Amino acid sequence: MRNSGWKSQLTSSLFVLPYLILFVVFLLIPIGYGAWMSLHNWDLLNPVHEFVGFKNYAKIFDSSSYLNDLFLEGLKNTFQFVVFSVPLLVAVGLGLALLVNALPGKFKGFFRTVYFIPYAVSVSVVAIIWLWLLDTNSGLINQYMQKLDLPMIPWLTDMPWAWISLVIATLWWTIGFNMVIFINALNDVSEELYEAGSLDGASRWQRFIYITLPSIKPTMLFVVITSTIASFNIYGQPFLMTRGGPGTSTKVLLMNIVDEAFKQRQLGNAAAMSLLMALIMIVISVFQFKISNRKE
Amino acid sequence: MKKKKWLGIALTAALALGSLAGCSSAKDTSKSDGGKGEKITYWAPFSGADGPRMKTIVENYNKSQSKYQVDLQIVPQSDYYKTVDLAFSGQKNAPDVLIMHTDQLKNYADKNLLKDLSDTIAKTGVKAEDYSETAWKAGDIGGKHYNIPLDIHPLVMYYNKDLFKAAGLDPEKPPTNREEFLADAKKLTVPSKNQYGFVVPTLWPNQFIFPTILFQNGGELMKDGKPNYNSPEAVEALTFYRDLITKDKVSPANVQQDGEVTLFLQGKNAMHLNGPWMMEQWDKAGINYGVAPVPQLGTKQQAVYANAHNFVIPATVKDSKKLDGITDFLKYVAANTMEWAKSGQAPASKAIYEQSEEFKQMKQQPIVAKEFDYAKFAPAVANWGQLSDPLWAEVNLALLGKKDPQKALDDANKKAEQLLNK
Repeated sequence: MRNSGWKSQLTSSLFVLPYLILFVVFLLIPIGYGAWMSLHNWDLLNPVHEFVGFKNYAKIFDSSSYLNDLFLEGLKNTFQFVVFSVPLLVAVGLGLALLVNALPGKFKGFFRTVYFIPYAVSVSVVAIIWLWLLDTNSGLINQYMQKLDLPMIPWLTDMPWAWISLVIATLWWTIGFNMVIFINALNDVSEELYEAGSLDGASRWQRFIYITLPSIKPTMLFVVITSTIASFNIYGQPFLMTRGGPGTSTKVLLMNIVDEAFKQRQLGNAAAMSLLMALIMIVISVFQFKISNRKE
Repeated sequence: MKKKKWLGIALTAALALGSLAGCSSAKDTSKSDGGKGEKITYWAPFSGADGPRMKTIVENYNKSQSKYQVDLQIVPQSDYYKTVDLAFSGQKNAPDVLIMHTDQLKNYADKNLLKDLSDTIAKTGVKAEDYSETAWKAGDIGGKHYNIPLDIHPLVMYYNKDLFKAAGLDPEKPPTNREEFLADAKKLTVPSKNQYGFVVPTLWPNQFIFPTILFQNGGELMKDGKPNYNSPEAVEALTFYRDLITKDKVSPANVQQDGEVTLFLQGKNAMHLNGPWMMEQWDKAGINYGVAPVPQLGTKQQAVYANAHNFVIPATVKDSKKLDGITDFLKYVAANTMEWAKSGQAPASKAIYEQSEEFKQMKQQPIVAKEFDYAKFAPAVANWGQLSDPLWAEVNLALLGKKDPQKALDDANKKAEQLLNK
């Protein structure tokens, strides 16, 4: 008996092992290394990296340092994107899931695939497609606007259009993932609850509010948190579509961090910035988690 | 069950795409079957259409002799300097010889990472006189010499010959100065057809265009080691450039990233300033285009902004046999860069651009070479990339009509000064 318990423990450990190895090699070690770097004056071209303690962090909070501008301006822009995109990523994801689920069997699979396909495409392809569609002077969308005698919209060169375009492109690209998660959650809501609701005379809307939403709450929380994290990590879309413009209005935090690391070669500063960014993301996620648990 | 299978397929597809992307960024080693001599590792960022040209040169060299074996490794442009930095910081095996852009030379030279070639050159017969002076001198930093030039790529003007003909202009006589440029641009603009004389980009390649007009005005980007973005010459340049949109109306407003390229490809942009690397794209699209030196858009002198590819040798390479091999290879390259010219570039070796008849028969390349004498590079300061970032962002705002040119350049200068005093 004891023997077999030992064996099953070993087997389960072995199952965990592949993930554990990947986690340690590709996540834990780099994070630790990054933290180590952030405590040094780490110029990529200098062989000597002197230890400076928390000086790099202090510089980020020192308003006379250029790092302060770089970090806060980037953070402000990233925050804007998060605020604009997350509610839509969740709401549209859920909306599509409800829509696709309401379709007859055969179409269901088809549309699920259609909406999911963009998710498998790389960000450069997404950016090129949307650059062509949104081009102010030769893009498809403005061409139609012109035909309808509507004013041409500077999709990527004026505010707030640049954010709107980036959010639209992001929605198109990643919405499939949230949709699939929501579809699975919707399928798990027990049919009996709806039947009971109907018998009691609940309208469609009431059934959605009082049965569907509470039943998929854990999934909702998961989607909100993963969408927030993903939106925080925005980089490719503005890098390729607006180049941070107009001016630096859409230059997000990750773009600034990458510049500091590889254009400036200041890995120490960049590491401090990214750890700070990670910290902010963790705080927000924990906050979201707490809020949704309190309501229960 | 069915659902899971479907998800599996999607995941596999995503993984496959991911790994494909991984492949494309992996290093591309050219296998050559030539002799087995002293091995020389050579890094270059030629991941575009120019890659195969360089590969051919290396293969021909390896076949031509058996003492040395050059191993060309192409690192994609976007990862190039990251990879080079890691090599220099000792985390990766460094190459024996590598390509470096002119605007990067100072960054590495300042940190003593490049080999001073002054004495090696004198011994081996790679001579300054064999190369364009402009290109060669860019490698003189602090009394030492660091580069052996491969090419210079200045800004050039492309124009659509069909549109010139339709507007009643001579397609063999592109404009050469500001007046002609403006007059032609106005004739070439047909608002009803969405056709424009010169579409003003608001982002890239203004990193080439704005300094060109500024240099032509007699201005400088840096003065006495300080940013000089808001000089009267710079303000004049930006005002002229912006007036093309607002006053002369030869360009639409709000041009987005690559918008001017799209319009040129669609035959709706008559004149276009860009680098010589665009040639193959126009050829593929089948446009009836002409190439000309950039007109003198500034008020004082002819000038053009350029960057260049150079060979450099890491300071750590000391083995004399290796150094001999590198010089032997570079001498071969200087005499045999016709192949390189085929990608649209103009080699900086006089044996090609001054003496080769085949070169002179080419369409674009001799025009590029014409600009060599007055071409100017980015200011030789460390971290020009970072120092110039505020300038491009403010030029962008001015061209989008969000800021007055003077105010924009003042702001850019202020930010650059802050960066310098960090």
